[in-house]
Amino acid sequence: MTSAPTPEKDDGAGLGLRLTLPAQVLVLFISLFPLLMQLYISLTDWSPLSGMAWPRAWEFWNTFANYLDLVSDDRLWSALGRTALVMAVCVPLEFGLGLALATLFVDDFPGKRVAYSILIMPMMVVPAVAGYMFFMLFQSGGPVNDILSWFTAEPVSIAWLSDPTLALIAVMAADIWQWTPLMFLILLAGLVGVPDDQIKAATLLGASPVQRFLTIVIPRMKTIIVIALAIRCIEAFKIFDTLYIMTGGGPGVATETISVYIYKITTQDLIWGYVAAIALAILLVLSLLAVWAMRRMAK
Amino acid sequence: MSAIHLQGLVKRFGQFTALKTMDLAIADGEFMALLGPSGCGKSTTMNMIAGMERPSEGRILFGNQDVTGLPMGRRGVGFVFQNYAIFTHMTVRQNLSYGLRMMGRPASEVASRTGTMAEMLGLTALLDRPAAGLSVNILQRLAIGRSAVMEPAIFLLDEPLSNVDAAFRAVMRTELKSLQRQFRQTMVYVTHDQLEAMTMADRIAVMDHGVLQQVGTPLEVYNDPVNTFVARFIGAPGMNLLPGRLLQHAGGLCVDLGPLGISAPLPGPLAAAAASAPAEVIYGFRPEEVQLDPAAPLGLPLTVTERIGARSILHLGEGETSVRAVFQSGEPLPEAGLVRFQPAAAAVRLFDAATGRAIRGV
Amino acid sequence: MQRSLPFQLFRYAAIALALAITLVPILWMVSMAFKPFSEWQSAGANLTWIPNAPTLDNFRFLFGDSGSDLIVALDRTAGKPILSSLLSATIGTVIAMTAGTAAAYGLSRFGSGANLPLALIQLRLFPPMAVMIPVMMMWAFLGLMDTWWGLALIYGIVTLPFAFWLMKTFFDDMPKEIEEAALVEGCSRLRVFTRVTLPMMAAPLAAAALFVFILNWSDYLIALLLTTREWVTIPVYMASLSSSMTGQLYGAKAALGLIAAVPPVILGIMIQKHLVRGLTFGALKQ
Repeated sequence: MTSAPTPEKDDGAGLGLRLTLPAQVLVLFISLFPLLMQLYISLTDWSPLSGMAWPRAWEFWNTFANYLDLVSDDRLWSALGRTALVMAVCVPLEFGLGLALATLFVDDFPGKRVAYSILIMPMMVVPAVAGYMFFMLFQSGGPVNDILSWFTAEPVSIAWLSDPTLALIAVMAADIWQWTPLMFLILLAGLVGVPDDQIKAATLLGASPVQRFLTIVIPRMKTIIVIALAIRCIEAFKIFDTLYIMTGGGPGVATETISVYIYKITTQDLIWGYVAAIALAILLVLSLLAVWAMRRMAK
Repeated sequence: MSAIHLQGLVKRFGQFTALKTMDLAIADGEFMALLGPSGCGKSTTMNMIAGMERPSEGRILFGNQDVTGLPMGRRGVGFVFQNYAIFTHMTVRQNLSYGLRMMGRPASEVASRTGTMAEMLGLTALLDRPAAGLSVNILQRLAIGRSAVMEPAIFLLDEPLSNVDAAFRAVMRTELKSLQRQFRQTMVYVTHDQLEAMTMADRIAVMDHGVLQQVGTPLEVYNDPVNTFVARFIGAPGMNLLPGRLLQHAGGLCVDLGPLGISAPLPGPLAAAAASAPAEVIYGFRPEEVQLDPAAPLGLPLTVTERIGARSILHLGEGETSVRAVFQSGEPLPEAGLVRFQPAAAAVRLFDAATGRAIRGV
Repeated sequence: MQRSLPFQLFRYAAIALALAITLVPILWMVSMAFKPFSEWQSAGANLTWIPNAPTLDNFRFLFGDSGSDLIVALDRTAGKPILSSLLSATIGTVIAMTAGTAAAYGLSRFGSGANLPLALIQLRLFPPMAVMIPVMMMWAFLGLMDTWWGLALIYGIVTLPFAFWLMKTFFDDMPKEIEEAALVEGCSRLRVFTRVTLPMMAAPLAAAALFVFILNWSDYLIALLLTTREWVTIPVYMASLSSSMTGQLYGAKAALGLIAAVPPVILGIMIQKHLVRGLTFGALKQ
């Protein structure tokens, strides 16, 4: 019997399967059932208020009506647009500020460790708590107005969170405060990883600091920059905790992002069939985006 | 003007002194090797010439210009790193043309100078290949080319051959030398390999423990080492050094070498110099200068015979009293037993046993 | 490299500004947490940056002590929400780390579960809001609504990607010679994993566990949807701390925020050198 597997090899493969089993079960549990349930009720008008358990949602069957509705749902599209705006403003600013700060931390200086530890604190603050911090800061009688009044020489009493534009700015400020440290941390790791010799070689060949940064540092950090931006874009798209605590999506719908919108129609309007349709549409689009991004990355 | 003058150069890192008061003048167009074991201060010296390190004390002059405070980007020196520091995210062409592009030279000039340099180094076929994944030998040429294309008046090389294989090392030694002859740059070459220094350099600066030991042409440091360190470090194998005592014997001043016996009388000038020296000395001679003679005054038992192609090395004795002797392979050599030998009279060197310094006959 | 004096000055000035912006929101909350009721609403010219009469009343109030000068009393104290946060985050961490570590080892050494890396990245990619309806339905069906163990289970799943990726990169980096030596000695593969590998990886395991704990502890949205009263967590409880008589209970909320913020900040600083690896799914090892 030449084809008999060695006991040891058998042991390894079997053990591998057993070790990965719990994770596989959890992944399946959280993806398969929810997906099927979501698909099912998204084709109905079912609501938890309908007086019937969800397995009987077929009684409210409406085929693709929910999916047709979402195309003309202005509130959905403006929530998506607002989410995109938050991403478009916050992520580049966080990147720029994080990179600028990181360049100051590449070589040693007295007090570096302490400054570093303090600068990365915001990203470890519970986002809901961060939201509450900024809620307090932006009260009309709060510290932000107080600090502004140092420059205007007269009392400032801007009602930040009641003004549609200012509320959005306040929410973005909170996001930038909390997540610039993440960019700083990742980009600093990237900067430190650029070999010293390469910088020296470029310097000796006459490259100016700006030229060195553009021709050596940035190209060498390309992967890290892509990772950092991707992570922040993904998280910024989900933005909820900070924002919801600060404004609850208001005033009106002025700061309503996609997560806040879904949350509201889930808990207030309770039109779960429709919510399921929106959620599935988002999952589909994100999956396609992810596949496209992976393909591009692989190239 | 590209002579280099190091004046009273000192480099301290915290409590540690890496370089103790270095004075060295390197002439325009000279090929100077900084030679020594690791930690001797040679790389520190070179980094200060390049401007990567600032000296704790002393001055560095290029020609008449004091460049001590000049940042490294503005010294206009070419530098080849030990690990080459090739920009692996660029192509070979982008690497070669990097300096010219950064200086904003016109595209046509960049193209022609890059092309010429590539031709000279045999890199033309590889110009559009990514630099990542090229062999060490190619990277090494590329590193030299990338600096050479800038036509620097001063060229610094930090152990450029330590990563390449032995066969290619021999080729590169010749190539580097001819490259330098062609451009007439002032070249400073850091190495721990005495063979590289001996074969390429116009002069060698031997360093140890942060102190410049001796500066001279390869023949000078080989023939007249100033101390036992240089004597041992130069040559492969290094000079035989045997502890002994001066004494009057057989009508001349001789050295009592203990178990080996008593040497032949020292030649006249050396004897005259040794007369005023302390009695405890070290008796030195090159392995290449050993003569076998059954009537010779010195004797040691044969330990091992090493046969390396064209040469054979006899190892005699053990420990403190061991001697190596090098012969051409054709010569008849003893197989075993006590070997009687003596150094050629003109090859004998004496060192003060206490200080290690050479005792020289004038 | 030597730096010029102007650069040094510029650097210190820029860092000082960054530190100030970082610290003001945190310090303001700390200040609020120790302010007596009378100073909460101070504004404009009366704005007090540092409490005039620092007090622990806000903390006492949270735990049901009516000694404060507030007329209102809490119908529920902060004790149980803190317990809920602790229990759900801790057990969630245990679930994520157990499943994640085992799977990471299975993939790293035996190549099993090759679908997991991508599947888990996708799990992280999707906004939780987009899968919460079916989860709520399932949790209701399974009787997991408004329980700390129901939260622990979902936390365990949500942070599984981090546990898995972190441990996978740690296992990938680990030299295999020691394990091979133990195999040659006759240990079974499972025994090698539990008796050789895991003890060797104690420090990375601890760092990964702390990282996962911070993430679980930081959740708001999931607890908001899956708990209603009995087992609400700190952030959900905090948001509910409003009273028609006093408006926002600023001081009490700040005190609670401080209680919520301190553990992750301390843990985060403790595992500083692993943060980058954790946040980038191990793509960057610093």
